[in-house]
Amino acid sequence: MESSTKQHGPLVSVLVPTFNRRRYLKEALAGLLGQTYGHFEAIVVNDGGEPVADVVERFADPRLVLIERRENRGKAASLNQALQHASGKYVAYLDDDDLYYPQHLRRLVDALEGDTDCGLAYTDLYKVHCRILPDGARQVRGKVVNVSRDFDRFFLCYFNHALHVSLMHRRDLLERTGPYNECLRVLIDWDMVRRLAFFTDFEHLHEVTGEFYAPVGDCDRISRLGRIDRQAFVAQTLMIRTTRPPKPWPKMPDLSILALPDRIDESAADMIRHIYAMTFMPFEVYLPAAPSDLARLKIDMPNLVTVPATRGVSVEARVDAALDRLGGDYVAVVPQGVPMTILWIEDALHAAVHDAAGRTAFTLSGHTAARPAFVLDAAQLRRARDGAGDRPLVESLGAAHLEVREPQPRERALGFDRVLQDAESLEAEGNWVQAAALYGQIGPRFGNQQWMRERAASALYRAGGRDDEALEIVRDLNSDRATVSTLLLEARLHKRCDRPREAVGLLERARLILKR
Amino acid sequence: MQLTAENFVVEEGIDQHYEVLKELGDCHASLGNHDRARHCYEEAALLAPDKSGPAVGLGVIGLQTGCTELAEQAFRRAIAIEPGCAEGYGGLAMVYQHRQDYAGAFDLYLACLDKDADNLVALLGLFQTSCQMGSFAKVIQYLNVYLDRHPGDVSVLFCLATLYARDGRYGEATDALETILVLEPENVEAAALLDDVRRRQAATGAEVMSP
Repeated sequence: MESSTKQHGPLVSVLVPTFNRRRYLKEALAGLLGQTYGHFEAIVVNDGGEPVADVVERFADPRLVLIERRENRGKAASLNQALQHASGKYVAYLDDDDLYYPQHLRRLVDALEGDTDCGLAYTDLYKVHCRILPDGARQVRGKVVNVSRDFDRFFLCYFNHALHVSLMHRRDLLERTGPYNECLRVLIDWDMVRRLAFFTDFEHLHEVTGEFYAPVGDCDRISRLGRIDRQAFVAQTLMIRTTRPPKPWPKMPDLSILALPDRIDESAADMIRHIYAMTFMPFEVYLPAAPSDLARLKIDMPNLVTVPATRGVSVEARVDAALDRLGGDYVAVVPQGVPMTILWIEDALHAAVHDAAGRTAFTLSGHTAARPAFVLDAAQLRRARDGAGDRPLVESLGAAHLEVREPQPRERALGFDRVLQDAESLEAEGNWVQAAALYGQIGPRFGNQQWMRERAASALYRAGGRDDEALEIVRDLNSDRATVSTLLLEARLHKRCDRPREAVGLLERARLILKR
Repeated sequence: MQLTAENFVVEEGIDQHYEVLKELGDCHASLGNHDRARHCYEEAALLAPDKSGPAVGLGVIGLQTGCTELAEQAFRRAIAIEPGCAEGYGGLAMVYQHRQDYAGAFDLYLACLDKDADNLVALLGLFQTSCQMGSFAKVIQYLNVYLDRHPGDVSVLFCLATLYARDGRYGEATDALETILVLEPENVEAAALLDDVRRRQAATGAEVMSP
């Protein structure tokens, strides 16, 4: 039976880095070997921790390969070493304290082998809040799907919503992304997921196919480093955000930011540092200035390109000088004084990327005709300057029949999150029914349907007096994908409607999931 | 726009297992499955020893099964775990009421309402004990506080009307009963009490007018 299963479907390489978690590793491997999809190889890399050979060998399964390493070199190095041994068409990841449900690999393989252009698919996972008991056992306190977002490339560059353990991707994509970054101490997985997004779209499967564990009171490494050494944390996130894999990037817009400070002094350096702090989409900064000024500039940042402006230092002369050099698909013209808050440039970039005609310059906050600030398709800007290079910048755009305007609200980045915040504000004010109505509208327009429907049902439950509507939504959710939270919500609705018997059935189901 | 992890990551659920067991205990208790309910509460208490809910649940089972000593122990434990536990005081009040210690019950209902002015069970308990004791002023005050927040609550309006009637405040009783009949024109008990109040009011008026 097993051998026939093995013959079907592409080989999946499952990478299992481990370090001093023998007890959990055993459970993780048991979950892996219980997969309904059997055609995989599992490469376990012991990162210099206590020996695990006996744990692995006890399973006596030829699909398990163990690499023992004496030296502790970190997770990125373990993953890279595992990748050297991987031969599958696809790669999946399993941390030593995580758990796959039996259908995990099957669902992902089916998605990637099906009718899709995506080279990566990801599922939802339960985050398991647990307490570690003195004997090392994990006492489960809750299982929540705390991140369940449809793929959004702009959002992914800000926050990783495709959990490493939940995903599977084509192995050949790693030839484009390069290996895991062994200089990173935190956010190793986000760094790779972000790089993968340069080359492929992601498919989100709305199914809970596993668990990752979060001991109560033991905050994750990210926040710990953030607290202990803020400067190191910022430096590491900057390293991630400035990583630019080799081109071409079929999926990621490349933004060239033309920094146009009034003069090259410390304020110019501040302006550039601020650009790096506030920009999360991939970018390069071009700094066109007089050669003598550039010689005085004291700033060393990645992806900063200084451009000698030999034909003068007017805005136009500097833009024209930089245009000869820049390599991005989109160009942002940024004079000194442009306010840089969150999404300061991504809104205009998002609008430009989704502007089918590509004939609009989307302005940044602070834009004036005298101090133009905008994002535009680089080819269009070149065309405008080639056609009317003797005119002021904005006039040359007009001469090329390019429109200059602010991005409309619907054109801005992270549209889903904006509306979500509106709905959350309504909830905070106690306007539950209005919040529920808004959640109901968000799903069809922005995706994330299940998540929004759960929010709507929960808001209606809190509103009181709308139990029938809430029940209809949550019942539907539970027939589709029951989670502990949705089962608990439906049970509470039944309980409130004096139907304890129905509630008991749902609560028992929730209890089973918690005990699984 | 604020972009923080709180905006897009659900971080609730730390007490979810406890909540499931507590709800399950409540449902089993209401179905009369006391052993199952007890088991759920005990398991819930192990998961969240800092929460009073399971002790309250065990106290309710004690009351339902007539084991008032067990109930008292459980409610006292609930109060010890969470001194602000209104249900603990309410439950303890019911134990006292059951033992016909109306003065003790009255004080405990008041303590419960101090912590949760919306606790309808305590309010009605307070009403019952005050009827036994014949002291209405404090209850009327609490009932009015409650009605300010829940103006359409007919059961509480009826209690208030009853107390007014017993206290000889017929005009206020009539107002409360008329409000009930606007909300529920078919409310037979309110209509009967209104007739009674009007008769007594008329009789009182006749007495006053008689030489």
